[in-house]
Amino acid sequence: MKKMKKWVGLGLVLAMTAGFTGCTNNSATSSESTSDSTSTTKETESTQSSESTETIKIAVAAPMTGDTAEYGIGFTNAAQLMADEWNANGGVLGQQIEIVPYDDKNSSEEAATIAQKIVSEGDIVGVIGHFSSGVCLTAAPIYQQNQIIEISPSASHPDYSLVGDYIFRNNTVIKSEAAASIDIATQDLGKKNIGIISIKTDWGTNTSQVIKDLVEQLGSDVKVVAHEEVVEGSDDYSPAITKLNEAGADVVICAGMYNLVAPVAKQYKQINPDIQIVGFSNAYSQQLIELGGDSVEGVCFPVIFFSESQDEKIKTYVDAFTKAYGTAPSALSSQAYDSVGMLLTAIEQAGTTDSQQVRKFLADLGYDGVTGYTKFDENGDVQKDFIKVTIKDGTFVKMD
Amino acid sequence: MNDIKQKKNFNIILYLEQFIDRFKLPLAVSSAVLLLIFPHLLTNQYILTIVVKVGIYIILALGLNILTGYVGLVSLGHAGFVAIGAYTASLLATRLGLGFFLSMLCGMICAGIAGILLGLPTLRLSGTYLSIVTLGFGEIIKTIAMNWDSVTNGTLGVKNIPSPSIFGLKLTIANGGFYYLMLVMLLIVTLFCYVTYKSRTGRAFLAIKTDEMAGIMMGINVTYYKVLAFVLSACICASAGALYASLIGYIDPNTFTFDVSTMILSIVILGGMGTIRGMFIGSIILITFPELSRSLMDYRFVVYGLILVLMMRFRPQGLLGWKSQMPYKLSKSITRKLEQARSDKQENLSQ
Amino acid sequence: MIGQQIFNGLTLGMAYALIAVGYSLVFGILRLVNFSHGSVYAFGAHAALLFVGMKLGIFPAILMSLIFTGVLGILIDKTALEPLRKKKSMPIASLITTIGISNIIQNMLTATFGSQKKAFPALFDFGVISVGKLQISWTQICMCIISLMLMLVLVLLVHKTKIGLAMRACEQNPKAASMMGINVNFIISFTFFLGGVSAAIAGALISGYYQIVYPNMGYMAGLKAFAAAVLGGIGSLPGALIGGLLVGVSESMAATFLGSTYRDCMAFIILIIVLIVRPNGLFGKKGITKV
Repeated sequence: MKKMKKWVGLGLVLAMTAGFTGCTNNSATSSESTSDSTSTTKETESTQSSESTETIKIAVAAPMTGDTAEYGIGFTNAAQLMADEWNANGGVLGQQIEIVPYDDKNSSEEAATIAQKIVSEGDIVGVIGHFSSGVCLTAAPIYQQNQIIEISPSASHPDYSLVGDYIFRNNTVIKSEAAASIDIATQDLGKKNIGIISIKTDWGTNTSQVIKDLVEQLGSDVKVVAHEEVVEGSDDYSPAITKLNEAGADVVICAGMYNLVAPVAKQYKQINPDIQIVGFSNAYSQQLIELGGDSVEGVCFPVIFFSESQDEKIKTYVDAFTKAYGTAPSALSSQAYDSVGMLLTAIEQAGTTDSQQVRKFLADLGYDGVTGYTKFDENGDVQKDFIKVTIKDGTFVKMD
Repeated sequence: MNDIKQKKNFNIILYLEQFIDRFKLPLAVSSAVLLLIFPHLLTNQYILTIVVKVGIYIILALGLNILTGYVGLVSLGHAGFVAIGAYTASLLATRLGLGFFLSMLCGMICAGIAGILLGLPTLRLSGTYLSIVTLGFGEIIKTIAMNWDSVTNGTLGVKNIPSPSIFGLKLTIANGGFYYLMLVMLLIVTLFCYVTYKSRTGRAFLAIKTDEMAGIMMGINVTYYKVLAFVLSACICASAGALYASLIGYIDPNTFTFDVSTMILSIVILGGMGTIRGMFIGSIILITFPELSRSLMDYRFVVYGLILVLMMRFRPQGLLGWKSQMPYKLSKSITRKLEQARSDKQENLSQ
Repeated sequence: MIGQQIFNGLTLGMAYALIAVGYSLVFGILRLVNFSHGSVYAFGAHAALLFVGMKLGIFPAILMSLIFTGVLGILIDKTALEPLRKKKSMPIASLITTIGISNIIQNMLTATFGSQKKAFPALFDFGVISVGKLQISWTQICMCIISLMLMLVLVLLVHKTKIGLAMRACEQNPKAASMMGINVNFIISFTFFLGGVSAAIAGALISGYYQIVYPNMGYMAGLKAFAAAVLGGIGSLPGALIGGLLVGVSESMAATFLGSTYRDCMAFIILIIVLIVRPNGLFGKKGITKV
């Protein structure tokens, strides 16, 4: 009887959690759109693999779980969309394309294992991914050694593409993006006293250093008045904000993702409602507006891809993406989308999946995608034009 | 009804134990041969990486086991020791160009010193308080690694950590050398743990675990042995950390989070605190499980949690914990000495 | 600036104090560090978010989440901890069990809600008052008032009611208490219920202040709150308040003078010093070690 009681208790716990899960799925919150989209991805995948036996496999290696899961899921979705488009037109080299997602949890440890796994699979033509620069730097040597093409849609560390000739990136290096952000702060907003608040990660530290160097080079009367680094894991940024405010910053460059920009904007505006905030393209996400609400009004940032653009090609892409996954694509997802396109075009031109051949064609390829005209330079880096975007009345608009 | 089931369960384990005991030698030989030729059986680097990872976690678990299994002090900050070992070794290797073994040794020494530093103050504390302090230690080490930019390179981490080499021969995963290096280290650590367990030190550890007060009464220097356990444990974990750093080739402060500490603790508990073979089983299960079930990605840590809860509830001694519940076997030389002493005493008495 | 920073620290400290109460309650009665409290706090915040999303109105929603989280507290005790008490397991076993539960709850939250940060509606958003150079928002004031009220209610509950008397009896000597006809298991479950409720209040209030909710929110906050509870003397409710404020202010000061990146280890440094110098905390009673 006693045992029974325990089992009943355990059952209750399970029932409760299950009920909880059920509740969440019923209420249409923004969070489950991501989980929905994963399931869609999985479904399409399974139907595909059952249909055709001979497929060309492209891996998407990115965080599917953990704090940055939405980026990895975004990559997978975008890649799947591009693959679907090609598949609808008969695939490439007469074969269907299959997107295989791998979860690296945005940790270097996992990424090293994943990279080994991808290499060991033997039939994977190219890898789209790894999200953060640090993780990319761990995995890239493994791909390089085994001659597998890696295109990262997000890595921005200068060292990354120097790992080898099989390593590409479809993202601008930090320097050009930082220059664009500073340009917004000093030219468009006309401010002189820059405060920097950066997240303490490899990316944040690098970026803030680059900003400081660039501002110094500018000379004139523009200066960095204060720089504060903050760590993940705490939502209270008020001490850092108070310091920046005391130092007399009239514009703050916020080097972090949307989950830093939104709370910083909120907490800063409580102290100083007139502050101008400039972000980076990885803050460009619908979730920034959801999380920040009124406080993120007027936040500006440079982006390579702007989903509200009137360009015909971008419009069809955004519509297709929104239809398939419920949300508009982010800039990084769009770069993943283009990366798959580039890889597939290179395969088609090469007429083979032999990575040595494909690599050659990929390096020479000029691709006109949704994130602008892309061509790799000798390192495997790209240069892109930035669009300046700001938030007005709860939507992203182009800056005048 | 449940009781009967449990008894039956116990019988199976008992049977297993008898089986293993009976065929000890052939089993040991065959597994040794299997382990030795393993890299030649398959060329899949991925599986080899996983196997090496399992090996590293066994070493880590053996390290924690000295503290948790033998002395009964639960540490939640062992990631800190791993970090010290990994950072010291890889910084020495990348900046000063020291060889792997020398830099690993330095890492172990540093971790040992940290072990003393952590061990001494925690003597005033017991049980949960001690666990909390170790947890704080782990977090502080992580913060230091993150902020001491000039030395640890901050969040950028240490890149391009060279793989170890012996006489100019690079030991990598690809040529299987790394695997053998792991195997040798594992063997050394395992033997070390076994010898420690069977020695005077091991008996002192067990005495402290079972009843500290009684241990003091018997004249055991509790302070000395507790600090010693901390140091040994730290050194072993640091060596595994150094190995790990050169396996992955890149470390940053986020490599050594609380999750790593939980993971090591889970292995020790699943396998059975105080046993050596338990660490093997625990690591094999917990490291390969997530690799096998990548589809269960989201629920991976839920399962770890369930393991902790269910093990504590139904089998706190761990999967292979029967050994730790059996009476402690004295080694033959000690038994002989005891006999000798006893007979001497009797002779004395009769005289 | 120092004034503003101290005030920032006090607000943060209030948040820690709110969470610390839960640690103190459970520790007082079981001598157990309830590691799962941080995730229970995250659970409370998510439950509030969920019920607010159901358009029940903000206060009924929070009330629902309080009950829900309180029940979770009871379930944790009944399913995982009570059997261990019955078996008279080692104290380590209970500790490890709570770590496991914390893992389960946190990752179940991640699996159902996703790990990203989600917006939480602002509570008491009535703008900002300026006192001299200080900028104080209404949210901060309301948070302080509610925390103090909660603390007062709990103190009254423990010291003036019959069930409080029973709780104190169990704290002093469970065996004697049970001989006096007190249902010790019921009292422990009740304590867990209170712990869950206070965690949910903390979750709702703190999320309302920062307007952010995510599954990992309980990890760091939980550890720091634990440091606060120990600093104040674990088991003592006023101690939790003072400890929380001290941890909050010292964190804010560390961020000001050392840089924000050092703030996270402040709590642990304080914790280690306190445990070594004065293991019973500022307000703790001296424990008797039984041999």
